[in-house]
Amino acid sequence: MRASHVVLGLLLGTSISCTFLFFPFIGEEAIFPLIMFNFFFVSLTFPLDGTLQRKICMLLIGNIIGLLWNHIFSLFANAACSYFGEFCNALFIIMNPFLNLFWIVSFWSMSLTLLTTPKIRRRTES
Amino acid sequence: MASYLMRHYIFTLTALRRAKKSQRRATKGNIAYQPVVSILIPARNEERVIGRILRRMTELTYPKDKMQIIVIDDASTDATGRIAEEYSKLHGHIEVIHRSKKEGGIGKAAALNVGSKHAEGEIIVCFDADYYPQREILEELTMEFADPKVGAVQGRIIVLNEPKNIVTRLVALERIGGYRIDQLARDSLGLITQFGGTAGAFRRSLLEGLGGWDESILAEDTDLTFRLYLMGYKIPYLYDTECYEEAVESWHAYWKQRYRWAKGHMQCAFKHLTSVLKSKNLSLKEKIDGFLLLNIYFMPVFVLLSWITGIPLFFLHPPQWFSFFWAFIPISLYSFVGNFAPFFEVGIGTYLDNRNRAQWLIPLLIFTFLLNIFICTKALVDLTISKIIRRNNNQWIKTPHSGNGNTYIKN
Repeated sequence: MRASHVVLGLLLGTSISCTFLFFPFIGEEAIFPLIMFNFFFVSLTFPLDGTLQRKICMLLIGNIIGLLWNHIFSLFANAACSYFGEFCNALFIIMNPFLNLFWIVSFWSMSLTLLTTPKIRRRTES
Repeated sequence: MASYLMRHYIFTLTALRRAKKSQRRATKGNIAYQPVVSILIPARNEERVIGRILRRMTELTYPKDKMQIIVIDDASTDATGRIAEEYSKLHGHIEVIHRSKKEGGIGKAAALNVGSKHAEGEIIVCFDADYYPQREILEELTMEFADPKVGAVQGRIIVLNEPKNIVTRLVALERIGGYRIDQLARDSLGLITQFGGTAGAFRRSLLEGLGGWDESILAEDTDLTFRLYLMGYKIPYLYDTECYEEAVESWHAYWKQRYRWAKGHMQCAFKHLTSVLKSKNLSLKEKIDGFLLLNIYFMPVFVLLSWITGIPLFFLHPPQWFSFFWAFIPISLYSFVGNFAPFFEVGIGTYLDNRNRAQWLIPLLIFTFLLNIFICTKALVDLTISKIIRRNNNQWIKTPHSGNGNTYIKN
């Protein structure tokens, strides 16, 4: 466990989250998943082995991906809403946590591979 | 539902903290307690794998004079019984019990009950026919019983045929989350460690005191876990004591196996929930964990419910008095995020096991999670119907084993 990395990461994650909260152009649906991402990513990735620079870099990239992902999907939702009606908006809001699940889990597992030392699993006979 | 998020998160951090500590203690010189052990191997149409486990049984390092191996041929229609008999003729400590078509084939719990009646050892160890344990597994499992408070012990299960296909790879990831993180954290935090029904051991006297396995429950292992905890016993988890299993190889088999687990777990919830909450033998944290553990298979059903109810409620503009229920939707929807906390468990588990390549598959677990929503919902509906019509249709569906893909075994 790297406590100093966690403390620094939490400070950074909180700062980023606060920026999102007070930034008027980010939709409400996007803010909550991004805050969740920051909290979980910092607390579960920063204690692991690896340089602080690499972890901070991954955190920032994750936030950018999250912003883009949510922005693109909200544009899709808006377009679908104007063509097909309010139902698409309801569907988007309800499925939003699930849609965010895709990028959060994918990005996090990809980040883990950068921190893991590959090892061939030992055989049972050993 | 949000409590599951916290639970998984705490488990993950706990396992991460314990990462550096190794549990292996059964090295030469510190084996002080070696009771007589009876090994039960229930087998129904397992001709492809029974030879492998019996050969492994003959290779175990535990003293042969303290080991009794009982194969329960549960009305097999293939060569399972014959293969077991061949091993029995060659090795005096292997016994075979044949069950006829009339009495057998009704489930693992019933087969285990028959085997238990023939068991003479102080400790009973269970292995499924598709398992492949470490040679020194008995020394490690039995050592824990020197402590009289220990009622059962559980070892770690690892998938043997992981590279076979995408299903086995995903099951292997689920197992990593369950055994590398979940069980380890429960053991570290003094919570309810689950006896997995195989690759584990328990005291024969306790099982006899309890009246044997409950044959009406599909998850007989979870049932035994709670019965032992309610009696005030503990179940240590030994994550360094490894046993290899053959994972299901098709989505159809996956569905059937998980359906049985879900239904059995729900049966246990109905049976033990009140007793767990009222128990004087359980601490507060054990009660909370027991409550969450018993209800875990209901959570995917809640996710589905929140999706279904979310759409009509979006269009309704609820009155003030309804605002409380209105809050249910975002809470349950975002608890879905909590339900993906198991992904974090799997991720950290693969990290601790240095499984770099396996981490790329973690996002695919989203689809097994989706599948589990429908599996659990069907299990709940079926269980509710069987309760209403008071007809026990809890039929045991056997998981098929191919005996292929033994990647980690040197031939």
